[in-house]
Amino acid sequence: MESWTPNPRAKPFIPRTQRSLYLSWKYKLTNRRTLRRTCQAGAVLFLVVTVIVNIKLILDTRRAANEDQAPEYEDPGGPQTPRRPVHGRRVLDIEVYSSRSKVYVAVDGTTVLEDDMREQGRGIHVIVLNQASGHVMAKRIFDTYSPHEDEAMILFLNMVTRGRVLIFTIKDEGTFHLKDSARALLKSLGSEASLGLSWRDMWTLVLRKGGQVYGEKHSKSPALSTWGDPVLLKTEVQLTASEEAECQWADTELNRRRKIFCSKVEGYGSICSCKDPAPIEFNPEPLQNNKVSNIPVAVIAGNRPNYLYRMLRSLLSAHGVNPQMITVFIDGYYEEPMDVVELFGLKGVQHTPISIKNARVSQHYKASLTASFNLHPEAEFTIVLEEDLDVSIDFFSFLSQTIHLLNQDDSLYCISAWNDQGYEHTAEDPALLYRVESMPGLGWVLKKSLYKEELEAKWPTPEKLWDWDMWVRMPEQRRGRECVIPDVSRTYHFGIIGLNMNGYFHEVYFKKHKLNTVPLVELRDVDRLKKEAYEEEVQRLLREAEVLDHSKDPCDDSFVPDSEGKTFVMFIRMDTETDTGTWTELAKCLHVWDLDVRGNHLGLWRLFRKKNHILVVATPLSPYSWRKPSSVKPIHLEPPPKEEPAAVEQM
Amino acid sequence: MVRVNRSALLYVLALGSCAFLLFQLYYYRNSGLVLFSVQQVVRSFLSAAHSCRLPVFLIDVAALNSISHNAPGHHHCNFLCSRPITAFGLNAKHWGHDVMGIFNVILSGEDPRLVGLDVSGDQVPLHLLLRRHGNIIQLVFFVERGGGFLWHGGLRLRPDQDRTFPFKHLDYGRHQGAYDRLDLVLTVLDGLDVRVPRNVTHFLLEQRHAHFLECGYRDARSFLQLYPQDLGPAALDFRRKVQTLLQISVQTLGLIQVPFWISSGTCLGWLRQCGVISYSRDVDIGVLVQDFRPEIVQVLTASGLRLKHRFGKVEDSLELSFLLDDVKLDIFFFYDDGDVMWNGGTQARTGRKFKYVFPRFSLCWTLFLELKVRVPCETLDYVRANYGDGWSVPVATWDWKTSPSNVLDNGVWPVDQWEEVIQVF
Repeated sequence: MESWTPNPRAKPFIPRTQRSLYLSWKYKLTNRRTLRRTCQAGAVLFLVVTVIVNIKLILDTRRAANEDQAPEYEDPGGPQTPRRPVHGRRVLDIEVYSSRSKVYVAVDGTTVLEDDMREQGRGIHVIVLNQASGHVMAKRIFDTYSPHEDEAMILFLNMVTRGRVLIFTIKDEGTFHLKDSARALLKSLGSEASLGLSWRDMWTLVLRKGGQVYGEKHSKSPALSTWGDPVLLKTEVQLTASEEAECQWADTELNRRRKIFCSKVEGYGSICSCKDPAPIEFNPEPLQNNKVSNIPVAVIAGNRPNYLYRMLRSLLSAHGVNPQMITVFIDGYYEEPMDVVELFGLKGVQHTPISIKNARVSQHYKASLTASFNLHPEAEFTIVLEEDLDVSIDFFSFLSQTIHLLNQDDSLYCISAWNDQGYEHTAEDPALLYRVESMPGLGWVLKKSLYKEELEAKWPTPEKLWDWDMWVRMPEQRRGRECVIPDVSRTYHFGIIGLNMNGYFHEVYFKKHKLNTVPLVELRDVDRLKKEAYEEEVQRLLREAEVLDHSKDPCDDSFVPDSEGKTFVMFIRMDTETDTGTWTELAKCLHVWDLDVRGNHLGLWRLFRKKNHILVVATPLSPYSWRKPSSVKPIHLEPPPKEEPAAVEQM
Repeated sequence: MVRVNRSALLYVLALGSCAFLLFQLYYYRNSGLVLFSVQQVVRSFLSAAHSCRLPVFLIDVAALNSISHNAPGHHHCNFLCSRPITAFGLNAKHWGHDVMGIFNVILSGEDPRLVGLDVSGDQVPLHLLLRRHGNIIQLVFFVERGGGFLWHGGLRLRPDQDRTFPFKHLDYGRHQGAYDRLDLVLTVLDGLDVRVPRNVTHFLLEQRHAHFLECGYRDARSFLQLYPQDLGPAALDFRRKVQTLLQISVQTLGLIQVPFWISSGTCLGWLRQCGVISYSRDVDIGVLVQDFRPEIVQVLTASGLRLKHRFGKVEDSLELSFLLDDVKLDIFFFYDDGDVMWNGGTQARTGRKFKYVFPRFSLCWTLFLELKVRVPCETLDYVRANYGDGWSVPVATWDWKTSPSNVLDNGVWPVDQWEEVIQVF
């Protein structure tokens, strides 16, 4: 515009103050149309973007909140019982076969038991099924042809929870020692044939404990020399809802473990009782100044879950136990031992079986010891236990008081809780310790350096059918070293079935073994177990000991006087290491271990008779022989002419 | 008329957006989302760990870096807020089953301490990932291993794992790791009580080279089934001596900070049978020539080794040999040459030089004879370069001048240098 010209169509001037803010704004905008348009568009765009961003944000936060609420993950490590859907009740088809040479049980077409081995599996086979899932919870054979097996069967059947499905079948013969009480129990469970079962009859039975009988078949043996015809029972079992099969325990970590265990296996007594279940946590008192609380405990196990259960109970009840250091090493991928380990909340390691018989045991030992030291790289020792041992209440206290000896005395190579000669009638003093040349095993402490530097590399290879413990006792491994043992053992060997074990053997050599029951025993003069101090101690004992009357028969009860608390010495003939005849005969009449020479220190045995301490000196082999008065003639016993029993090794 | 309507629309929209904003504020306040910062998440994690008696410690690289660079300042959140991911460590022995419940992702794996034995134990937790409000906490489990060190596992994803998880951004878990035992101190970071490694710089240095390789026990087992191990007294004695020599090397060279790795026959024994080749008669280790220090000779002789010969010079084909009893420790110095690395060999009698060429490699930790030692990470390439494709078949007769598949003739030392480059003691 070059010059100003008044606009004739202009609106009359109105002072600004009279116009509202809005109008002035509007006026401005209407005057600048383009600017106004852009502003409007911009505002709308801004609003739309805000809305979108906000919606997205809200969605995001919703998702984040959901994420936090729902855990994405379930613990994969825990045992999970495979659960079949329980919508609607299901039916199990069961087939049971009983005959002279073969039995089998099939559930829904799956064979859960088959035994057609010759000379094996005689007696009544019992299978327990879970009434909700149909899982096999226990399998047992009771050889009721032999005595006392029916009592074991009664015990077992009474332990089984009400409501479980029980399957019975006889192989070969199962009635010879089936007493009336067992027959009555079977009758009370619902059997009609049990009272009439007789020699070489075949019999099958399927029932629910405390409930109905699903089927029973019985075929009588026509004559003493023949068996009844084979019987095959086919029947159907109604499954129940899983809630009916479970107990309503309070929801705790312990009871969760209990629940898993009890839904899988049977035959562990009151652990699975609904009303008053046995504890699975023991909380024994801690030890003052416990020197073994950080030492790993390796429990060597096979497939004897009932043994393992008993063993772990006693172990976890011992004063000063540290469950975190316990590892159970299972030889094979067996389920039930692992279930027991998990019931107690312990760590279990399964080992692929290598080789056979004693070589398998030996390989399992090696793998377990290596794994134990691997799992605890800082540990200097490992405590080695087996699944068929009870441990005494003061087991850890005993080890805590003695473990320093292994570090302070190079002439020692183990501390063992087991005294081979410590029977009820030959062990007396829980505070007394010995040094012995043989490695007793059965609850012992192994030093890492001994294992890693000496034993591990030359451990017998799988093809060598050697007992690992015999190998460890060999002079090449022992190298003149000794073990410290207590007079009264801190472990008890209860295993009756095992590689080198049977009922008779157990009865004779293990049943009467003494186990300490006194808590917190303070061991006497532990440091006098060191090499030199122990020699002095032995010399003192020999010096003060009264010489027994060697003219009497050592097997006669009057050989040891009826005094108490005295120390006596006797001398027996032993010309060389292999001249063990007299000792063996003496051991037989003392009723101690007589299968090989064990538990001596330089040809000296120490044990108790009638509460007197007896020193037995092998003359002239032992360096203590010079203590023999010249007038005394060492005792010489001849083995009886009949054949020696075949030597059986301790497992 | 239209003009007025439009304005009204604008007006309504503006009001609407205001209302929306207010609602949003309200919503956020209620959900407390805005309040959840990294620090808050870390705080709640630490208090959970504290109540479970888990002595967790901070291993987050970014956070530790900021600690090592500046002393704690006055800012509200200095150390723990730089990234939405924070890494903590825990010694696995403190972990109990009873605390599993509170965490959302646990990645477990085989127990490393049982690897190589014929056994299988429970899976052990390796990593724990916690995700809350977009923030992530990684808890790494450190397991004490036989060679006196701490080990952590690699993150192996299961197929059902959440793919949206930013696994790539985690500091730990790409590989297995090996660390020295940690000394921890309690400190206050951003108002939180946190345990950190006492020597942060050392830890961060370790973290960069922590890659751990487990020996291939499974392959070793099949090898040993084909070619059973010599368990005679001589072989056992040799094995013990190898172990002693390596232990001395780990201790003394570690003290003067000369990194080394097991090489040649010793490395082959590790790869092939996780053990010692009983007929190899010596121990071979490699050292980068830039790590050479004259003290090497002093510290090794001080620990009872005898210098047997010294070939070459620092600039070319350096090689030291020591003796302990009747077992030789050969230290080969490696030279960097672009795409390849090489070490030299010298024939004492003729002065001939040889060159052994290897593809480039990096170094990893491993557990060998119960010792934490380094091996080339690309072990297979390394061994294949040295022994050819037939490396997996034992060869008892070996000539170091002709047998290796990577040996090159490298001329002859000038006679006037012999006195320096061929020293036999």
